[in-house]
Amino acid sequence: MSPKRLEDMYDAVIVGAGAAGLSAALGLLRSPEITDLKEQGIEPKILVVSKLQPLRSHTGSAEGGIAASLGNIESDDWHWHYYDTIKGGDWLVDQDAAKLLAEYAPETVINLERQGVAFSRTEDGHIAQRRFGGHTRDFGGEPVKRAAYAADRIGHQILHTLWQQCVAQGVEFAEEWYVTDLVLTEDHSRAAGIVALDTHTGKIQAIHARNVLIATGGAGRLFHTTSNSWDLTGDGMALALAAGLQLEDIEFVQFHPTGLAHTGILLSEAARAEGGILRNADGEAFMERYAPEHKDLAARDVVSRSIMAEIDAGRGVADPKDPDGPKDCVWLDMTGIDPKRMAQVLPQVVETIEQYANLDPTKDLVPIKPTAHYTMGGLPITTDGEVYRWNGTHHTVVDGLFAAGECSCVSVHGANRLGGNSLLDACLFGTRSGHTIAARIAENPVDSPMADDADDELLTSAVDQAAGVRAHELEELLQGSTIAEQSENGDATGENAYALMARLGSVMERALAVRCSADTIASALEQLNTRIKPAVEILHAHDKTAAFNQEVTAIWEVQHLTELAEAVLRASDARHESRGSMRRLDFPERDDEHFLAHSMVDKHGSVEFKPVVITDYPPKKREY
Amino acid sequence: MVEANNTTVTLQVHRFTPRAERAERARGGSPFARKSSPFGGGSDSAARRRPRGKQWVQEYTIPARPEDTILDCLLTIKRTVDPTLAFRYSCGHGMCGSDAVAINGTPTLLCTASIRDWAKQPGALPQVDEEGFRHIGEDESMSDASSNSDATDASSADGTSLGVIELAPLPGFPPQRDLIADIDPMLNQIRKLTPYLQADGVLATTDEGKVNAFEYLQHPEQLAKYETLSNCIACGVCEGSCPVFAGGDAFIGPAALIWSSRFINDSRDTKAMERMDAIDTADGVAACQSVRACSRHCPRGIDVGEEMWQIVAKVRER
Repeated sequence: MSPKRLEDMYDAVIVGAGAAGLSAALGLLRSPEITDLKEQGIEPKILVVSKLQPLRSHTGSAEGGIAASLGNIESDDWHWHYYDTIKGGDWLVDQDAAKLLAEYAPETVINLERQGVAFSRTEDGHIAQRRFGGHTRDFGGEPVKRAAYAADRIGHQILHTLWQQCVAQGVEFAEEWYVTDLVLTEDHSRAAGIVALDTHTGKIQAIHARNVLIATGGAGRLFHTTSNSWDLTGDGMALALAAGLQLEDIEFVQFHPTGLAHTGILLSEAARAEGGILRNADGEAFMERYAPEHKDLAARDVVSRSIMAEIDAGRGVADPKDPDGPKDCVWLDMTGIDPKRMAQVLPQVVETIEQYANLDPTKDLVPIKPTAHYTMGGLPITTDGEVYRWNGTHHTVVDGLFAAGECSCVSVHGANRLGGNSLLDACLFGTRSGHTIAARIAENPVDSPMADDADDELLTSAVDQAAGVRAHELEELLQGSTIAEQSENGDATGENAYALMARLGSVMERALAVRCSADTIASALEQLNTRIKPAVEILHAHDKTAAFNQEVTAIWEVQHLTELAEAVLRASDARHESRGSMRRLDFPERDDEHFLAHSMVDKHGSVEFKPVVITDYPPKKREY
Repeated sequence: MVEANNTTVTLQVHRFTPRAERAERARGGSPFARKSSPFGGGSDSAARRRPRGKQWVQEYTIPARPEDTILDCLLTIKRTVDPTLAFRYSCGHGMCGSDAVAINGTPTLLCTASIRDWAKQPGALPQVDEEGFRHIGEDESMSDASSNSDATDASSADGTSLGVIELAPLPGFPPQRDLIADIDPMLNQIRKLTPYLQADGVLATTDEGKVNAFEYLQHPEQLAKYETLSNCIACGVCEGSCPVFAGGDAFIGPAALIWSSRFINDSRDTKAMERMDAIDTADGVAACQSVRACSRHCPRGIDVGEEMWQIVAKVRER
């Protein structure tokens, strides 16, 4: 679905149609401000632009649950959830934001239910809840059942329900439009709109908007092994960098311990909860050495680090699909689980192993390795969803620019996200940013006869200029095929965007996956700058038909990934400590004195630090 | 990593490149063109959506293992052979629903289809047994024997061929480029049937009249009536398999009916009667011919044909 005709000016453009983008659209349209406007006959002009058809968004792959202290199974208190979130994030969590997250979680989940999510139920008809790592009672005590779930398909249920509600609201979508530019006004003080490639027609479109929300999801494709879909190329984050903005805490990437070896597809934590044991090349159940108490069920970052330590010590195994390849996996041994029970409680895990590894988990050892799962960092936002700049001492909001979901960082996840908090973050802060945008629209709606459009010319010209540059670049990428055909050696490297993306993923994985040091970072930066970037610069399309030319999108994606990779490496380099998901081999301890602070990195690699908001719970040692 | 193995697969891909610009202008050019049909509407607009361009079949032979998925193979082709090949894909593990195509003529998802299950030896036709039956699926012993005997013929210098797989865009939808088809008609049909919960908005109360929950209460057995239906990922496999829908007859299609049924069977929804009225039409439930081809490859395991049967019965009985 594409708009028949673009408006000359939009009240708001939302980029991304996963849980965060759709929640924002709904939060906006259902707000009292917009309801008032509609009663006056003023229609808000809203467009949701997405790289995929909305039902394809990666939100749909979330399995486990969404956390909220509903207390449907056992007594719970949002203050406990609040505390768990801070502790899980290794105290790099802004406590004002985490407080909102925990306090409004029950409301968020109940609103999802009332919109249609098919939650699993208790016998008496309430939303069912299950245990999840790190969620406890009494501030770090016994585990508590806090994750509301819908079998193992909570993400699918939420994504479809939000889309359904958008259909009810008549939200207009521009589907399979790839955003190439986030445009600010000339003085960089406010959002002007976006430039996008309509992949269906192959045309560059200038979209003028008084408000822009970025909700493009994560950046798992920075790494070779990832649980993320092929589309999570960090687009929104790269757009922000290119627009001269900063990214917060972008060095924190969560690696889930059990990705199915060469695919990175997630094998749920439930596999270990049901009795699966991790073993090294010698067959040793090595987690006993690293976490004598919790063993294989220790926190995600702890297990991932232990696996990598075994691999680094030469006790890894090769993926049986690639017997001569690197020994960078360990075994997940599920043979001790009763086969009948396995089929009953782990159907999805069994199906994935059978289908994608061609192994029988009741008999075979399964190769696993940590898989890039979630980016804790992103565009820095206030608790109202506004994107801001940090100059080392104070912050300045960019007028009309918003972000939500995984691409943003309101900092509820700190240095390590708790399971069940990602969908919650996307829905809750997505809705909040929608409300903020609604209030701004109400001040001066495009459709109002009394509208003050004095500044629109400023926005329009900035976007049109960026679109002109981009259209020219598109033409060059497409014509590149002709030039290459003409000169015999024009395509000598034989390298294309897809191959380069794979190469970048390997470089990043070697340097940063689970652990890093000044040396691994320096070596990755060197390869990035001397090998990858020069190759990216000469990429061109191999076919000149613009319509549905996926290669053009892939070229811009790999550009985005390289820009983001550099920022991630620079931010990692600047943090001389180990905290949460970030393990520096050369700085193994947490250092609250110097680094209890958010990093803010820009495209030049300059890093500033911003103090963490601590209101209720002073930092403690993080132990489970 | 695939080089370690000495086997190959050949993909025969039905490719299509739309012609740029000119075709579009020609279509919109004359106000008198395309007005000749007195029936107007659907078929005409479908015809207009079908872009013109260049069509051909391209063969790619690449190293692969029997357990690789066809999506793996296509991504290898993009990386190492031909970056221009176009096909939709995203999550890669059967949840996003974006990669439905026709594999050897059968609609299914690229990311859940393995070479082992779909590669055919060239020239191998389905065998008819002594009783005159043609077996569907692979007979283990037969396929082993045939692959052994054919091995020398089919293998190239580079390795042993696992066989040939034919790929084409999802039937029933206008092709847009290579394996990409325009599935908007399906999504529009889904949209037409008010695919969202319409509940009463009342808060549940206790016997004493106090609000005892803010969520709508729904018991596990009530959930069971529609939970499977709510797992539909709108991939279009059932639509491409349906001879009525893919054949081009007026039919709202199995996917939209599954979505409608999902709400009709949801105890929280208050519009079941209106929803049933909306599908009780000639191109609604009445168009279903109970072929049940829609059930065969549903990636979410929905027995679409049986659900069609159930909803037809429900509409008749109301």
